[in-house]
Amino acid sequence: MANYREAPLASRPKTLDPAEYFNLSLDKRRSVEEKATLRAQLKRQYQMQLNNPLRKELIEDPALTRWVYARTNPFNNFRPTKKTSLLGGLFGVLPLFVLYFVLKTDRDKKEKEIQAGTYKRKFNLSS
Amino acid sequence: MLKILIPTFMLFPTIWLVPGKWLWTATTAHSLVVASASLSWFKWCSETGWVAPNLYLALDPLSFPLAVLACWLVPLMIIASQNHVAHEPLTRQRTYISLLVSLQVFLILAFSAMDILTFYVMFEATLIPTLIIITRWGSQTERLSAGTYFMFYTLLGSLPLLVALLYLLNDTGTLSMHTLQYIQMTNPDTLGTMLWWVACLLAFLVKMPLYGVHLWLPKAHVEAPVAGSMVLAAVLLKLGGYGMMRMMVVLGPLTKEMAYPFIILALWGIIMTGSICLRQTDLKSLIAYSSVSHMGLVASGILIQTPWGFTGAIILMVAHGLASSALFCLANTSYERTHSRTMLLTRGLQMILPLMAAWWFLANLANLALPPLPNLMGELMIIVSVFNWSSWTILLTGLGTLITASYSLHLFLTTQRGPTPQHFISMDPSHTREHLLMALHLIPLLLLVLKPELMWGWCF
Repeated sequence: MANYREAPLASRPKTLDPAEYFNLSLDKRRSVEEKATLRAQLKRQYQMQLNNPLRKELIEDPALTRWVYARTNPFNNFRPTKKTSLLGGLFGVLPLFVLYFVLKTDRDKKEKEIQAGTYKRKFNLSS
Repeated sequence: MLKILIPTFMLFPTIWLVPGKWLWTATTAHSLVVASASLSWFKWCSETGWVAPNLYLALDPLSFPLAVLACWLVPLMIIASQNHVAHEPLTRQRTYISLLVSLQVFLILAFSAMDILTFYVMFEATLIPTLIIITRWGSQTERLSAGTYFMFYTLLGSLPLLVALLYLLNDTGTLSMHTLQYIQMTNPDTLGTMLWWVACLLAFLVKMPLYGVHLWLPKAHVEAPVAGSMVLAAVLLKLGGYGMMRMMVVLGPLTKEMAYPFIILALWGIIMTGSICLRQTDLKSLIAYSSVSHMGLVASGILIQTPWGFTGAIILMVAHGLASSALFCLANTSYERTHSRTMLLTRGLQMILPLMAAWWFLANLANLALPPLPNLMGELMIIVSVFNWSSWTILLTGLGTLITASYSLHLFLTTQRGPTPQHFISMDPSHTREHLLMALHLIPLLLLVLKPELMWGWCF
């Protein structure tokens, strides 16, 4: 029977409190002890890296790596839903057609004025 | 021309025969001598219209600014790569510098090519050293997919170009730029001619890159080592713009109707990629997307085929080459110290490296097109000529300028100002080499403020 004391940076899981200990089934006890072992090993690894006087680089944080990867590769988690299709169409497809329509109309109007001879040209030496 | 080309070819024996401890000094000095000799190309004889002509190669005011930029960049690339390649075996270091020099050779030949097929061959040839640099010397595992995207996007665009050029050769009997200015397009209304028009431009639009086909650029820039990023941003993108300007001569009256989709993609791309910049977490990715944004402006300037559009395009290409390359070098100084490109982790550097903060400030001001730098002059010329083309575009280009200013400031404030993270244990101070590198980038940019005629092109 292990006596898990509280450590300064590691709180003791409630289930390993000696007062509660005997109310647990053996399986539950074993699983909570395994998880506590793993946590302690991870903390030890981090502390070894943190206090290593010869370390010069960043301690690798897997959560940060995952976050950076997720931010740079959004397409892996992309699924065409109603909202994403609407946004994609509104910002990616519709402006192209609207711009084509606007610019073509404007340019054709200018062309008609030039053909008719009514286009007022301001003097510029070079354009 | 030969007085630049032969010393450039002689860089290969220099690289391979120099003893190990003199390698970097000797190659930097040799390439700096070649770069200063290339400044002789600025003397433009306006009577003939071409500088340094011989039977196969010549430069004109469109191409010699870009060729001088290509020559100038090689010593800068060698200086920038010195740190991260220094730990490798000697043969591999020599190989690396040989790849950079072979890029210079291909680029000089591409910009001075008088025959469009020569230009095409050199355009394709620059892909190979760049691919080797990205996939062999990049630092993440994603470099393989970056190399794949880079190769296949560019090849997808350039295979139709080969077919189009061979068809043109068959039709007109020559592909020399001297004679191609005088041909007429025979039947501009058929579907075949329209497809030929698209095939001629697609390779250059992919290379520029245009907004819809720009996906290869952020990947390639992020995964490449610093010399690869520098040469990609500064010169290889400009190959696309230069190719477009040369091809416009033969594309005749069809461009007035067919260019609309591409102008619209370019203009809308300025805003979209600028907005993406504001959301980036990776430093090099932000600079890569800002390259796409500036090149969108260049593409729209070229496609409207006015004198000011062309002039603005070439000024912006040269100025953007220097400014973007400077930003990549700065990002590399940060990366070498913290081994991380995440902007959240490399913040508040002004407290630690104040002199580098001064260079960051100047490079970001160049990127956001501060007057009187040529970035602004190029942008203004393009914006004005596009406004003359159609008044509605001022909404897009004006919003694009605003977004450019905001993401440049965001870049500067995030990396320099604010709280310094607590996890930095040991940071090298700024090396003199890095200060030299930044000075050599930004001093030409400041000098070009005083004499912009050097890069105006022949439309003025």
